[in-house]
Amino acid sequence: MAGITFKNVVKTYDNGVTVVPDLNLEIKDKEFVVLVGPSGCGKSTTLRMIAGLESITDGELYIGDKLMNAVAPKNRNIAMVFQNYALYPHLSVYKNMTFALELAKVPKDEMKKKVQWAAEILGLEPYLDRKPKALSGGQRQRVALGRAMVRDPEVFLLDEPLSNLDAKLRTEMRSQISKLHKRLGTTFVYVTHDQTEAMTMGDRICVMKDGIVQQFDTPQNLYDHPCNLFVAGFIGSPQMNFIDAKVKKTSTGYALCFGDAEVAADRPELASYEGKTVVLGIRPEDLHAEPQFFGKGNVIDAYIDLDEMMGSESYLYLEYAGQKMIARVPARYAKRAEENIQLAIDTETIHLFDKETEKAI
Amino acid sequence: MDKKPSHARTVIAYIVLIILTFLCLFFFYILVINCTRSHQQIQAGFSFLPGSSFSKNFNSVIHDAKLPVLSGIKNSLIVSSCCAVLATYFSALTAYGLYAYDFKLKKPAFIFIMLILVMPTQVSAMGFINVITKMGMINTLYPLILPSVAAPAVFYFMYSYMQSSLPLELVEAARIDGSSEFHTFNRVVLPIMKPALAVQAIFAFVQNWNNYFIPALVLQENSKRTLPILIAMLRSADFLKFDMGKVYMLITIAIVPIIIVYIALSRYIVAGVALGGVKE
Ligand SMILES: Nc1ncnc2c1ncn2[C@@H]1O[C@H](COP(=O)(O)OP(=O)(O)OP(=O)(O)O)[C@@H](O)[C@H]1O
Ligand SMILES: [Mg+2]
Repeated sequence: MAGITFKNVVKTYDNGVTVVPDLNLEIKDKEFVVLVGPSGCGKSTTLRMIAGLESITDGELYIGDKLMNAVAPKNRNIAMVFQNYALYPHLSVYKNMTFALELAKVPKDEMKKKVQWAAEILGLEPYLDRKPKALSGGQRQRVALGRAMVRDPEVFLLDEPLSNLDAKLRTEMRSQISKLHKRLGTTFVYVTHDQTEAMTMGDRICVMKDGIVQQFDTPQNLYDHPCNLFVAGFIGSPQMNFIDAKVKKTSTGYALCFGDAEVAADRPELASYEGKTVVLGIRPEDLHAEPQFFGKGNVIDAYIDLDEMMGSESYLYLEYAGQKMIARVPARYAKRAEENIQLAIDTETIHLFDKETEKAI
Repeated sequence: MDKKPSHARTVIAYIVLIILTFLCLFFFYILVINCTRSHQQIQAGFSFLPGSSFSKNFNSVIHDAKLPVLSGIKNSLIVSSCCAVLATYFSALTAYGLYAYDFKLKKPAFIFIMLILVMPTQVSAMGFINVITKMGMINTLYPLILPSVAAPAVFYFMYSYMQSSLPLELVEAARIDGSSEFHTFNRVVLPIMKPALAVQAIFAFVQNWNNYFIPALVLQENSKRTLPILIAMLRSADFLKFDMGKVYMLITIAIVPIIIVYIALSRYIVAGVALGGVKE
């Protein structure tokens, strides 16, 4: 039983900078939560507060139902993978992994079994006797993972644990960590920059900016219903298109106008925005080149600045009515750069944001 | 074209180095040669070839009833080794305390230690003798050993070394692994500090091995005396019995342990112990 609860947590560093102004977060037991956000937004700080490595300036932190503010890291029963590995340089890979186990007085043969198990998963068997100095960056990172894996903590904290691995190994490790989570059934808090990691691994994703939680939801909900411009722009690759559009009343409801396009939007909430400009968000894959989407008055004729052929699909960098857009269309419907292309906007999946508050409408 | 000047530079560099090496080692050579020669031979002038009086000199040093050389060696060894261990361990501990923890009086504590560093031993000697007399420690080895717990110069060296080579993430990793603060210091910090510990252990050993001032004030009985005092006693002995061969022999005996300690510890002075622990 170890959920993690932040109650009005504040973190101010000694130099007077408040990195986390007021954090309220409830991570459930056995949940895999991913923290994402731009560099410097306080992800590591949040993680380190859970670990007890940073003091909490104000507010309360609970692990399970125990108040943790004053509990030393060693008594919190957590395992952590550091952003910069933090391996013991004077100990072999094997000893690095058993350091915690020896302290916990785990019997020798059990210790050996555990290290063997972790080394096998991580592909570290040939390196067990080496010192960290004699390992590559990726190997060191795997040792750091292994050191956490061999333990039986209540909470797993991982700070960008895959950042130094190559693409193939990263994909493999991703599924290994997911498996590990299922197997151990403990709470995982995982910090990453990588969208794919966040979307594929997280039960829920917490998007942060400047120490403030923007949205905390399942990957699907974050993608389908971003609560503001920041989340909409942060989640999804290529980024969502943001277009300034004017709200106009029509016979059936409302329409969003930009250039020659009039995108119908039957949203009663738009009443107060009549005649004003809102931000229209369209995901690149919701700009369709396939013919079956045409014919609803929502087609734009855009100029292609640049095209990136990705194999099965093509990214088109477009210009329309003075606004830049990206479309992601199936390769066989795509056209090349410096041509014009007809694209239909899927009115079902558009997102609308208030231009002032940047919140979703 | 550019080969020549660099060649000449190499030659000059070698000549300078050879002269310096010669200057350094020449006196050791004289010392070792002279301890094998008799008093008369030494007085006659200096020679590059060893004499034949080695065992005679050796026996006269070892068997001098007034000069307890063996107990002198023992005392010197006890004092110097204890000092080396205490000075390095506790200085590292102090430096770690100031390096790894944040507390209110951190800055003043640091400045205070630095102030002690500039205080010469002679200034506080009278007070020191007074205190140890009152504590009943006069004429024992304790007053020579215990003060090395507080060695500001060693502390400063350790502190600088930590700043360059001890990432605090390692300490944090150990904490998360469930290690107590003291265990972390002994099992993670000290091994990384090995090169610094070795350097300072050698320094502390040599310094205390050669120390004359405080032992001369503290030690009164022959059996408690350390080697430097015995050497001084021998030199100031009466003129009739003055034997140069014996003096050289005693000095030679006195430098052997230093060489052994140096050789034993110098293999720990290697670069890069902390390498590979964290991503730079
Ligand atoms: N010890 C410290 N003292 C003062 N400010 C700090 C300290 N540590 C971090 N900060 C500041 O706190 C902010 C958040 O840092 P943090 O390391 O949590 O960011 P992050 O989200 O993990 O970034 P990244 O993705 O680059 O790792 C940064 O602006 C950083 O400059
Ligand atoms: Mg970070």
